[in-house]
Amino acid sequence: MAKKTTGSNSISRRRLLTTASAGAVLAASPFRINLLQAQEATIKVGFPVPLTGPYGTEAQDQVRAAEVAIAEFNEGGGLNGRKAELLVRDDKLNPGEAATRTLELIEKEKVNFIVGSLSASVQLAVNNVTKERGIIYNSISQSDEINEIKDFSKYTFHEALTPHLTAGAVGRYAFPKFGKKVAFLTADYAYGHEMVRGFQAAGKTLGVETLADIRHPLGTTDFSALLPRIQALKPDILIINNFGRDQQIALKQATDFGMKKSMKLVAPILLYTGRLAAGAQAFEGVIGGTSYYWGIEDKVASAKAFNDRFRKMHGGKVPSDYGALGYAGVKTLLMGAKAAGTLDTDKVIAAVEALKYDYYKGPEYYRKCDHQAVQSVLIIESKSKPEKGESDVFNVVATEEPSEQNLRTCEALGHKS
Amino acid sequence: MNELSQTLTQPSVASAGWFDFAKRHRAILASIFVLVFPLVMPFTALAVNILIYGLFAVGFNLLFGYLGLLSFGHAALFGTGAYLCGIAIVHFGWSWYAAIVMGILGGAVMAAGIGALAIRTRGIYFAMVTMALSQCVFYLFYQAVDWTGGENGLRGINVRTIDILGLKLDFINPLTRYYVIAAFVILALFVLSRILASPFGAVIEAVRENEARARASGYDVTRTRLITFILSGAFCGLAGALMALHLSIVPIEILHIETSGMVVMMSLLGGMGTFFGPFVGAAVFLLLENLVSIWTVHWQLIVGAVFVVCVLFFPAGIWGTILKRINK
Repeated sequence: MAKKTTGSNSISRRRLLTTASAGAVLAASPFRINLLQAQEATIKVGFPVPLTGPYGTEAQDQVRAAEVAIAEFNEGGGLNGRKAELLVRDDKLNPGEAATRTLELIEKEKVNFIVGSLSASVQLAVNNVTKERGIIYNSISQSDEINEIKDFSKYTFHEALTPHLTAGAVGRYAFPKFGKKVAFLTADYAYGHEMVRGFQAAGKTLGVETLADIRHPLGTTDFSALLPRIQALKPDILIINNFGRDQQIALKQATDFGMKKSMKLVAPILLYTGRLAAGAQAFEGVIGGTSYYWGIEDKVASAKAFNDRFRKMHGGKVPSDYGALGYAGVKTLLMGAKAAGTLDTDKVIAAVEALKYDYYKGPEYYRKCDHQAVQSVLIIESKSKPEKGESDVFNVVATEEPSEQNLRTCEALGHKS
Repeated sequence: MNELSQTLTQPSVASAGWFDFAKRHRAILASIFVLVFPLVMPFTALAVNILIYGLFAVGFNLLFGYLGLLSFGHAALFGTGAYLCGIAIVHFGWSWYAAIVMGILGGAVMAAGIGALAIRTRGIYFAMVTMALSQCVFYLFYQAVDWTGGENGLRGINVRTIDILGLKLDFINPLTRYYVIAAFVILALFVLSRILASPFGAVIEAVRENEARARASGYDVTRTRLITFILSGAFCGLAGALMALHLSIVPIEILHIETSGMVVMMSLLGGMGTFFGPFVGAAVFLLLENLVSIWTVHWQLIVGAVFVVCVLFFPAGIWGTILKRINK
């Protein structure tokens, strides 16, 4: 018995060595070949977004909009005849899953670009993976940190707005109009804190006074203990810094408490999809910011063209705000590649930096130091009832034109120059 | 369960042949499997994930399957390993191997802390206490934004080359990354196999089978429990450190209660108290999740149905059931 075991033991050890060396050879060889092949194939755009989970509706709209960008690029002849292809992955709103999926897209699918994500932490995770591997990444979700020198790399682009810009634009509109005494109701996590900082930065020059910043945990279902405290403070403006379901519940309860009579309700971001889900009554009269609303098509020609194309491809639906970012994120990189005439990373980066584009909402460009898209912010007010079909939910009350002055300065972000 | 563990740890004289051989050389066989594994996987990053979660589940199984204590707080050990490894690289610029040691120590020390408080309770109370303590650990790391990045997670654990005795390996290359991580996992498997085969390993199982009898035989039950918990923590800490190196980030979700639940699920799915079962569980769990989610957005429905079928028809876990069949 003992003899037999030793015999088999040595065999398995040999097998172990053979397998190990086979593995080592594999590690070295086949990947270079794949890289060469990738030059001839289609242009692949990886698209990790949270298809499942709380932001599933928005993510699926981002995919629909990205498909529009791909279709337009291919109809326009592609890059010297090379067509583009979209590879969608579910990141499950989890940074670990997103990083794994990004690794898959880069290592197995050999994607040329990555566009996507719908949360601050997820985009920072994807960005860390892509910048290490020299793959261009265009983020389509709000974050202040992605522009900072710590996370930024030359491969990083940020098509979405930043909390600083959004909150600032809403504040600059609301403070002179509705009053200087402000109370905040804030979800106690990075998004909420960044929004408060954005509002306070904009309010400083206008002499705005913060009466209170009341924090609540993420996923709060009952605000009835907090709202009377705010009522007692008698602010001119109540700014509700939360997102998704929290926002819907907070607005609904504030309406029920009759708070709209004594103060103006303001939210940094009003989501098209969120408003559709919650109904008109809770959102009525609430002021907020957004990157895009389909209703600007009467005034902006590129918005009209984009909406029409979207309606044609997706059964008459109109694109949502975050959806449109999916379109712009993919489109800018593809058009950059087209302008460069190559997929060579450095040349594409230079071409995208040089773009002055108007694809769906008016003129935009990427600031050189942090690759932040300099763009307009729409100030919208929720309608009491839709007039032109159920997608007619907001009035655009003001537009803040694109200006680098409204962004944090390159020096504040830690960049040179 | 009883019968199963006996076949695994005691060299049985009656049944000879290849099954007996496989039992004796479980660590070697497991290593061979680990080495050829990425070649059959849909993509390498998934294979690395399975490897790391497999090691995490193996570490958890030391406590759950072999000692018989159900912990609902193992995310704290896994996460501490990952965060300490990451912090060592990002904030102190340590080299990768020192950071891995830091991760192992972190897991062990955290296990000693949690274990010292929780080890005297048993059954459902042990599960509750470990869960509560791991929530404390979650908030500790969540609030320490300057060190951990808080909500946004820790980024910048960028290791481009692995330096072993003058040999420079490209850690960005997926297969190289896999085999470097596999080397650590294989080492851990050998260590674990050695522990289980030692007299101490027998005491662990004696405590599980009959605590009173183990105490009457002169073994210090409380200390055995604590040492096993710390060992389990070291394995989980290593898994966490490898995770940090693999993904180059540490998300705060790693400390979330869902991670604790997931490792319980993996162990049950593969077969608790078996050497290789947790690996099988991790592989099946992650493969299902990844493959089905590419195919449909309703992946949770399908994965859930598969779990229900497994729990109903394979109560000993997939690997446990296979072992039982062969052994009959």
